[in-house]
Amino acid sequence: MGSTACFVMVSKNDIPIYEAEVGIVPKKEDAAHQHQFILHAALDIVQDLAWTTSAMFLKAIDRFNDLVVSVYVTAVLCASFFQEVHELYIKTLLNPLYLPGSRITSSHFDTKVRALARKYL
Amino acid sequence: MEPDVSIETSSMIRAAVLPIGTIPTPLFRDYASMLNRHQTVSLSSISSFYTEHQKSPFAHQPWDAGSLRFKFMLGGSPPSPWEDFQSNRKILAVIGICHCPSSPDLGSVAQQFSNACKGYSSSLVQRCFAFCPGDSQLEDESHKGSNLVLFPPADRQTQEFHLQTMVQDIAASLLMEFEKWALQAESGGTILKTPLDSQASLSSEEVIKAKKRRLGRAQKTIGDYCLLAGSPVDANAHYSTALELARLTGDFFWYAGAMEGSVCALLIDRMGQKDAVLEEEVKYRYNSVILHYRKSFIQENAQRVSPLSFELEATLKLARFLCRRELSKDVVELLTAAADGAKSLIDASDRLILYVEIARLFGALGYHRKAAFFSRQVAQLYLQQDNKFAAISAMQVLAMTTKAYRVQSRSSIEHNISDDAGPTHTDGGKMHHHSIVSLFESQWSTLQMVVLREILLSAVRAGDPLAAWSAAARLLRSYYPLITPAGQNGLASALANSAERLPSGTRSADPALPFIRLHSFPLHSSQMDIIRRDTAREDWWAGAAPSGPFIYTPFSKGESNHSSKQELIWVAGEPVQVLVELANPCGFELMVDSIYLSVYSGNFDAFPITVNLPPNSSKVITLSGIPTKEGPISIPGCIVHCFGVISEHCFKDVDNLLIGAAQGLVLSDPFRSCGSVKLKNLSFPPISVVPPLPLLVSHVVGGDGAIILYEGEIRDVWIRLANAGTVPVEQAHISLSGKNQDSVMSVAYETLKSALPLKPGGEVTMPVTLKAWQLGLMDPDTAAGKQVKDGSSPMLFLHYSGPMANSGDLQNESAPPPGRRLVIPLNVCVLQGLSFVKARMLSMEIPAHVDGTYPKLVQVESGDVEEVDGLEKQTDRFMKIDPYRGSWGLRFLELELSNPTDIVFETSVSVDVENSNSNKRPSDFKCGEFSYPKTRIDRDYTARVLIPLEHFKLPVLDGSFLVKGSQMNGTTSGRSSSFSERNSMAEPNASIKNLISRIKVRWQSGRNSSGELNIKDAIQAALQTSVMDVLLPDPLTFGFRLAKSSVDHTKKLDSPKNSDVQDNSPLSRGSIIAHDMTPMEVLVRNNTKEMIRISLSITCRDVAGENCIEGDKATVLWEGVLSAITLKVPPLQEIKHSFSLYFLIPGEYTMLAAAVIDDANEVLRARARTNSSDEPIFCRGPPFHVRVNGTA
Repeated sequence: MGSTACFVMVSKNDIPIYEAEVGIVPKKEDAAHQHQFILHAALDIVQDLAWTTSAMFLKAIDRFNDLVVSVYVTAVLCASFFQEVHELYIKTLLNPLYLPGSRITSSHFDTKVRALARKYL
Repeated sequence: MEPDVSIETSSMIRAAVLPIGTIPTPLFRDYASMLNRHQTVSLSSISSFYTEHQKSPFAHQPWDAGSLRFKFMLGGSPPSPWEDFQSNRKILAVIGICHCPSSPDLGSVAQQFSNACKGYSSSLVQRCFAFCPGDSQLEDESHKGSNLVLFPPADRQTQEFHLQTMVQDIAASLLMEFEKWALQAESGGTILKTPLDSQASLSSEEVIKAKKRRLGRAQKTIGDYCLLAGSPVDANAHYSTALELARLTGDFFWYAGAMEGSVCALLIDRMGQKDAVLEEEVKYRYNSVILHYRKSFIQENAQRVSPLSFELEATLKLARFLCRRELSKDVVELLTAAADGAKSLIDASDRLILYVEIARLFGALGYHRKAAFFSRQVAQLYLQQDNKFAAISAMQVLAMTTKAYRVQSRSSIEHNISDDAGPTHTDGGKMHHHSIVSLFESQWSTLQMVVLREILLSAVRAGDPLAAWSAAARLLRSYYPLITPAGQNGLASALANSAERLPSGTRSADPALPFIRLHSFPLHSSQMDIIRRDTAREDWWAGAAPSGPFIYTPFSKGESNHSSKQELIWVAGEPVQVLVELANPCGFELMVDSIYLSVYSGNFDAFPITVNLPPNSSKVITLSGIPTKEGPISIPGCIVHCFGVISEHCFKDVDNLLIGAAQGLVLSDPFRSCGSVKLKNLSFPPISVVPPLPLLVSHVVGGDGAIILYEGEIRDVWIRLANAGTVPVEQAHISLSGKNQDSVMSVAYETLKSALPLKPGGEVTMPVTLKAWQLGLMDPDTAAGKQVKDGSSPMLFLHYSGPMANSGDLQNESAPPPGRRLVIPLNVCVLQGLSFVKARMLSMEIPAHVDGTYPKLVQVESGDVEEVDGLEKQTDRFMKIDPYRGSWGLRFLELELSNPTDIVFETSVSVDVENSNSNKRPSDFKCGEFSYPKTRIDRDYTARVLIPLEHFKLPVLDGSFLVKGSQMNGTTSGRSSSFSERNSMAEPNASIKNLISRIKVRWQSGRNSSGELNIKDAIQAALQTSVMDVLLPDPLTFGFRLAKSSVDHTKKLDSPKNSDVQDNSPLSRGSIIAHDMTPMEVLVRNNTKEMIRISLSITCRDVAGENCIEGDKATVLWEGVLSAITLKVPPLQEIKHSFSLYFLIPGEYTMLAAAVIDDANEVLRARARTNSSDEPIFCRGPPFHVRVNGTA
């Protein structure tokens, strides 16, 4: 599969507030959906696991076929990639016009996340 | 692989349940369900059917507590290649089910059954249950010897009892067969094989190996039978042996199988009691099972057969055993591992079963997203099979995922809606942010779209047009912003295609397009306002706010509880309208075949309309209907017939969507994207329908346009009221509201009253008299004539109502039907008319002649101030003798008026006269008004109008002026006279007002316009300074006359009428001649009610004004006393003082009388406007002319 990856930020209430296909974007649209489906399903595990460990970074908590799910749980939301994105997210949260829990539509955020993905992944 | 496996599966006896003969499927299912209740048969219950033929190999059979377990396979199943390995996979019994009425020939049934049994070579017991046999069938002997069991017709309970007995019989037979088999196997001789064992001819080495293994495998199989026979202890013993043998021979596969059996035996032995130790034990042993299955993998035949499915089955069995929330971590690991195995499975159906089981287990664990994920995998596997049944399965499986992905069809969550409809309704739209977010929880739009698309695809393939329609509708409605216009078109055609295959009138729970929100309630015309009736009060409308079109009024804003939310009242039988806004945010034209309000209460007839929405557009439409019956109405949304299917669109859903859009939680606001403005969220208020009410409709006769009036113009307006309702008007009340209410002079309320009750269709015409108000000086703009819409017009409020209650209603129970309010705006447009410039007093005094007559006659007693000598000179009507001063006087109020308009005005002055003595001689006086010649004022001209101030003099100057005043204005009476300064000053003011109010300046213009000038303030200002002189008489009146007629005059005082006639003739006037002694009299009259003591003096002046009585050059000689004459004048009496003059020179002389009042009282002081009590009060009479004839 190469270095294909999908990055999704999920707010509480299970709303995806940011999604990006990073790395080599899969050619087939199906596969892209598959990534999200796996991430969505992994939330069940994250939800349970987050309570049992104090670690923020949960590496490879779930997998399906060749796809492995790693999660970075923040107080409100590789390791360095997640950390930097977390910082970005905090900056976004500080924006008074951003309502916590709603979709992140900032193109700046998107550009930064993709740049970080190229750097680390 | 097999579905639904668990550890206990190993202990279950499989029995195929087959339909025999023709039997309707529902009946077959019904019989099978009866059978299914006997899955567990206790050993104690079968002991009566059991016969021990030889010593049982199951030595430790728990006859008291143990049981046999059945697994009924409906429709049977094909034989498994693995049934040697796991005996529970064998079909050990065949049960046929036959419905006798549909299969009359029992012989053939028996034949069919035995044929069916041939497919199940492993079966040990066969029975065919024939239900409901007829009499002839009962007698039929042809099937004797077969396995046919007839169930005599009986009630259900009896049948079930029969069935239980038969199952127990089968169980006993099976148990005996198992015993037989176990004994046989123990003696050796059975060869047990699995597909794993090489199919090729065995090499010698392998033969030896196989022989060694045979014993272990036999032990394992006996163990299996012990389990099936319900004897776990025996099973365990055999399994232990088998394990030992298998380990020695390296027979890993059978080792694992025996291990599985031993775990099952363990659990059966524990009879379902679980504890941590047991769990650990099971976990440990099963891990070993899984490991050994894995070990048994043989590379060489991996292409053909693999123990992988057993490994995965074992994994699933363990997962199922552990499946508890607390152990979720273990279960997740097991299931993840199992999922990993999926891609190594050769058989697609195995993969399907695996995913199904994984999904089920995740679901049981509460991991709904995981369950949904694997369900979707299942659906995808189904979709890979290109057939209709697989598609149906895919559709059904996907439908199960919709909850986790939040794309449920409304039909599957109907109960949820009704649950949360309550609280959100009472919330009144004020939801917390938290709950709004929760509405949009788990909205993974990408996933949702994929799932819906797959549902659509599978539904199309499965040939379920309604499901396809619903999926396409959900997809289009929720995700249109993410779908390209081409995709939107595709969905639209998918909707249309699906609808074509549906019967017309099909309903779908899921709405498609358009988006519909409540826009507003059209403004009730003010003609239809409904007022709650307060039965306790006579004025029932008071205090009730009009129901009005406004849901939020500023007055109710402060109240926090939602009970203050205005209820909307609709009237049965009167059409109502609701404005809704539709939005079509998609790129195709949307045809809404019909849309109407959805009402469940059954008392509303909604009228459907057709709407056409162009791409990306919104439209506000009016939906109407008629409430039919009284009671509450709730309107949750609209019923829409669009894309060939009928669906209900709830306002609440769109409201939530819009809230979500406002919070950034939803992709797009469909209304805003269509360019519609943002609206305040409006939720449907509670609506109640009241019984029919009367409905008055008004219009102004001659047109409802503005009534154009000049300032002060008075005009009658006719208002026609018609009852357009179906109920008579029984009560009506008119009140005024708005600005300039006093411009409505009168309303013919009586006319309306007399027309009540006004029947439906009845009409009444009611005059209203209007008087145009003065234009303020502040607004020159409006004076210029553009004041139609400034709201300064008054309004008539007509509150009316029908009968109190309908016949048959309990009056006490229900509130009376409300009344209504009709607002009749009187659109008055006032134009500037005559304008007032200034006012002033004009007065003039002309001396009287001294002659034989006394110049005035006063009826003191009657208080009559009427001019009595008005007949004297008709040409000089305004020249009046002041009856109190005895002189001729003119007193006018001069008004200067200008006419800035472009029409001509004619003014006329009139004075109302209130005759205090009208009861006495009414015929002699012009009661009512005096009128004077008209004055014409042309446009742009200024003219003066003179108002004679007469008739106003009070007859007596005294302290009881108060009493006099009360006679004139009629308001204050009976007040004792007090001489305080205050009262004596306050009283004139009242009198002035009274005086002013009687002066009216009317105008007329053209034929139709007439009015009155509002000049009261101006008159008051002009009169203020000289009001005393106008109103009050002098305390003393002086008069001169020639003494020779004095005798006659005393008579005349008593009969003034006669004297009028005689004295006023000029002939009666005497003349004075020089050089002659002229006896004269001075008359002093006391106009007060007190005795006045005066010191009177008389002078005579010549034309030069010189005193000609005294001094050196006196030209008049005199006789009598002329100065310092002390007199007492009784109240309201006159006295005379006689003297004689001798004129030396003919010519004109002037006689003057003057008096100093001694001991003046307060009244006199007030009249004289003096303050100090020391100051003498000096009264001077008017001059009298004396013409002396003769020659010098």
